[in-house]
Amino acid sequence: MHIDHDHVGGHGHPHSHTHTHEHTHDGVAHTHAHDHEHTHDHGHPHDHDHLHDHGTEHTHSHECAGHCHDCASKCEHTPMEELTALMKYMVGHNAAHAKELADLAAQLEKIGNKAAYEQVMAAVSDFEKGNMRLSVVLQSLK
Amino acid sequence: MCLSTVYKNEKTEEAVVMRNVMSIECKDGCVILTDLMERTVAVEGTLVSANLVDGFVIVKEN
Repeated sequence: MHIDHDHVGGHGHPHSHTHTHEHTHDGVAHTHAHDHEHTHDHGHPHDHDHLHDHGTEHTHSHECAGHCHDCASKCEHTPMEELTALMKYMVGHNAAHAKELADLAAQLEKIGNKAAYEQVMAAVSDFEKGNMRLSVVLQSLK
Repeated sequence: MCLSTVYKNEKTEEAVVMRNVMSIECKDGCVILTDLMERTVAVEGTLVSANLVDGFVIVKEN
């Protein structure tokens, strides 16, 4: 049985997408969604084949997505590498959630609920401050 | 976009197939899981359910 596994390799290309940065007006921190070009690590899927005999164990793993020439010796990730990767993911994940909340706030404002808009944006500000703290920790882990 | 934990057949600690799963592909009778470190696990079977709020997925092995 042959199956193809898609793998991804981390690297970056300049591109743009909408996101937010916290800033302050008149002492009030808040964010606006906006676009600009930037680069971050990402991957592209690609395929390769694996051979499996019928009747053998069906569950198997391929460490490091096939990027290593000698998986047995090079595919291990240290706990610190895994924690750093997870922390990096969480920081990005939180930023995405902050944007979602800012978008939600904008909808509240659009329907005329100014008080709710301001409260949600204040929460977004607090959220982003917490995420900034995590970013500092992430930098210390790298 | 949350990471998920994938379980085989039932949601118990013993049945965890992979944690921090970032992508799942069903292909050629296999459920192929990829985690945050880009490790992959292929389970020959089917995807039973995915709870995207609580971040867990159940697969059934053939």
